[in-house]
Amino acid sequence: MSEETIVIAGYSETLVEYKSGRSAYDFAGEAFAGLLASTGVEKSMVDGLSVTVPLSECANPFFAVYMTEALGLSPTWLNYGGMGGCSATGGVARAMTAIREGMCEVAVVLSADAPSTNWAANYGAFRGEFQDPVGVLGPPATFGLLMSRYEHQYGLNYEALAKISIAQREGALVNDNAFVKLKKPLTVEDYMNSRMIADPLRLLDCVMFCDGGNAFLVTSAAKAKALGMEKTVRPTAYAEITNFKGADPVADITETGFSVLAPKVFGASGLQAQDINSFHPYDDFTIAVMMQLEDFGFCPKGQGSDYVMATDLGRDGDLPLNTGGGQLSAGQPGLASGGLNLAEAVRQMFGEGGARQIAKTQNALVTGIGVIPYARNWGTSTAMILEAS
Amino acid sequence: MSDQDVKPRPVPKANKYVATDSFWQGTKDGALLLQYCPDTEQFQHYPRPVSIYTGKRNLEWRKVAGTGTIYAATIVRVPGPGMDGRLPLAVVTVELDEGVRIMGNIMNVEPDAVAIGQRVALAWDAINDDIAYPAFNLVEA
Repeated sequence: MSEETIVIAGYSETLVEYKSGRSAYDFAGEAFAGLLASTGVEKSMVDGLSVTVPLSECANPFFAVYMTEALGLSPTWLNYGGMGGCSATGGVARAMTAIREGMCEVAVVLSADAPSTNWAANYGAFRGEFQDPVGVLGPPATFGLLMSRYEHQYGLNYEALAKISIAQREGALVNDNAFVKLKKPLTVEDYMNSRMIADPLRLLDCVMFCDGGNAFLVTSAAKAKALGMEKTVRPTAYAEITNFKGADPVADITETGFSVLAPKVFGASGLQAQDINSFHPYDDFTIAVMMQLEDFGFCPKGQGSDYVMATDLGRDGDLPLNTGGGQLSAGQPGLASGGLNLAEAVRQMFGEGGARQIAKTQNALVTGIGVIPYARNWGTSTAMILEAS
Repeated sequence: MSDQDVKPRPVPKANKYVATDSFWQGTKDGALLLQYCPDTEQFQHYPRPVSIYTGKRNLEWRKVAGTGTIYAATIVRVPGPGMDGRLPLAVVTVELDEGVRIMGNIMNVEPDAVAIGQRVALAWDAINDDIAYPAFNLVEA
């Protein structure tokens, strides 16, 4: 490829907290300062900024510009990402394009949110007339419907969903950033006995809304080298799709946008599912993890339960899965969620996994899911493959 | 929860998103009216500012029979605004015979009797004394 090589040259993450009493600005500042400290980059070098629209501050349409003031930045490229949990991976991809276009040289992709402290979102639109009256007030009801349809078409072994929860929980137990109240071991019995939220969706299929933030430094490989940054990873493939099958009124809702992203990112990177060293799928609900295992070809469509039961998803296993606990077990820092699993993938590839360091770090597959639509699966899907530099 | 604690359900506001007077007039007449794209002869739901099939604003409201098959089914068990006294609540996605899906509640059986594949017919869910919302009954209850 003649295109300039772009890398992620640093990451930073705050603790995930519940009802922290802090703002998205404060978490963003902590993540930003942490990124500068860990990379050695001076604030004055940062000339690009991507900010994720947070639930806790979204009543302000100028949050991204306010953020530049809060951080004392004067970026020549500013992006405000409104794809929910896809905004971090999507922000990295947009920053790469901006750098290649010469709009900036050193970009920070910043996501911070504090919805458990301050919920400012009002989705408006059709919901008051066509969704709220039937009792679909949030993602769990939509995912209960999705799970029911999946189970109807393919069968669903709840022990497999329990195994996903448990495998990820093992990562959270040794993740200093994980929400402290989630740091206790899980058993299959714990999963099965967790209360039904929207049948067949149980409490332990769901994330917990928390507060937190994360940040990534994106620049050219040449610039990273010139700045003395030794640890970098290359995003070698990225694809996204929004409103998949949006004009099909009777689309199969068990088919997701990832089914079209998988061949794109594998084609661009030359990798296949069996080549992936670790998988960091967006995990707002356990069924989303299982459906992604299928869509990326780790197993055939509909055989997720059997695959999960036969596969070691632990950090020393066949396919290490969300090794820091993912959102399910570290807590979901609002719409900064899309950076949580990305940070873990970069951390592992930098060899900074500590007690949960995995052995194979030549590549990682990271995904995002954003926004829950009417009676379907999810709004935006993103997929990014990272490879060692 | 005692009856005294039951808060009234929020009243949906018409025409906030797109023009929906026809839908709401239909509920007063006991009919389910949905948006229809005459160019492609397809329904769409929820209502949109354009046809999702053509991008044009050539849209009508047409009555549907209200009969269909349950495509997905859940039982919502968590409280929230408008949920007082309704839990556990059978929430389904119905694939109407006209080829469009709509979410709704099942009114005539206990939630655990609801399953994918069952046939349903139009029913009405009283939001208050003045407003009834489209819902469904199992045909063979």
